[in-house]
Amino acid sequence: MTPSHEIEARLREAAEELLRDKKVDLFLGYEKASLPFRTSPAFLTMPEEARRLAWNPFCTANLAVYLPRLFKAPADAREAKAASPPPAVGVVLKGCDIRSAVALIQERQVPREKLVIVGVACPGMADRRKAEKALGEREALGAGEDAEGNVRAVVEDGTEVILLREEIVAGACLECRSPTPSIHDVLIGTPVEARDPGAARRQTDEFESKTLGARWAHLQETLSKCIRCNACRQACPMCYCKECLLDQTLPRWVGTSTDISDVTIYHLVRAFHTAGRCTECGACARACPMGIDTRLLVRKVSQEVEDLYGYRPGEAIDAKPPLSAFAMDDSQDFLTEP
Amino acid sequence: MMSQTQNTQATVSDKDWEPKIVAFLCNWCSYAGADLAGVSRIQYPHNVRVIRVPCSGRVNPAFLLRALQNGADGVLVSGCHPGDCHYISGNLVARRKFALLKELLQYAGIEPQRVQFTWVSASEGGRFAAVVEKVVEDVRKLGPNDKLVKVL
Repeated sequence: MTPSHEIEARLREAAEELLRDKKVDLFLGYEKASLPFRTSPAFLTMPEEARRLAWNPFCTANLAVYLPRLFKAPADAREAKAASPPPAVGVVLKGCDIRSAVALIQERQVPREKLVIVGVACPGMADRRKAEKALGEREALGAGEDAEGNVRAVVEDGTEVILLREEIVAGACLECRSPTPSIHDVLIGTPVEARDPGAARRQTDEFESKTLGARWAHLQETLSKCIRCNACRQACPMCYCKECLLDQTLPRWVGTSTDISDVTIYHLVRAFHTAGRCTECGACARACPMGIDTRLLVRKVSQEVEDLYGYRPGEAIDAKPPLSAFAMDDSQDFLTEP
Repeated sequence: MMSQTQNTQATVSDKDWEPKIVAFLCNWCSYAGADLAGVSRIQYPHNVRVIRVPCSGRVNPAFLLRALQNGADGVLVSGCHPGDCHYISGNLVARRKFALLKELLQYAGIEPQRVQFTWVSASEGGRFAAVVEKVVEDVRKLGPNDKLVKVL
């Protein structure tokens, strides 16, 4: 595992060089936020700003979510005339984020030639909530990292608490199957092995071993916490539709209330829309203010796509997404025969 | 919507409950198949409410969920047999969608018989009647849909 400070130095170097040589107009990375255990996205346009870039165990955000907005197509001819040419963008992406970017390139939301991907081999990011929970009553005032990648937190009375990295790794990172970037222009850090590639499937298998009624009850209990803030949708790099089905009012397909029926349909539709597109970055789960396992249904859809159509999103730019394709011999055992 | 929901409640409490099935039939094959069943005077259960769509590929999973939410006990989607689609491949794209949807609903804990998919061609009036009979029987065994229904 490459130490964070080394990655940070190399990120700054790469950003400075790209901006100085005018290879990119904008560089997207992470910077320190005002609170410990947090980072903010940094939008850099000048080479001097590169020193703002940070790399630490809390660089969790999937920066691919900003990409479609930077390359938004003009709405009409007049807008097209006034529009400035699309920017060249350099962006820091981890293994999962790169797969999101690849899926966006496939769906023609982002032009590959305008993108300089600075890939980072990701050792698994820390979960802010797990870190806070580990501290219990105490509040962190500052956070750093030791040589082994564990988090050093300074609490109120000035003492230092070591939080072991493995104990606060984010849920999605525990299930991660491709921590090392598949596609990149610059690669930082030595390749990392996946922790436990079978973890996601074990979870779905376990859920599936319950009875139909128990599954429904569990789902209802989980979703009853949902306040319909749509944070999971906003955080998802694949949810870029100009007009989301969930926002349509004529007709309104999905109710906006927190009625359990509306909530369930919202989550079913959201899971379905990620079919063959979800890159398992876990942004939805991290965004949820209620701590709902938003990936409960999504996980299953991804696996089903993989089993039925042998497709894993974000692996190759020229692959055809499974739901915009078909084969004559696709399975149809599910059909009703009289 | 209000009145629809109330209707559902009335049906559920009713002793002689009859399943309510919403059927999305493609214009070119299945709708014509249903029509043929009618003109051929083939008897089939009256529980089915037909909605004509241009193609089974037009059916968005949200339609089915919305039908179940508003009081349908079961949903049937029927299109042209593979290779016969008026739009060449609409039904084949739909097949992938439906396969995933059915798996997802089952995983979420909804009885798989609540949503059913099939192919009926324009010449298969008898098959249409048989499919409807089967769907109605399946749903009758499950009883009223109480999972996704919105209760106000």
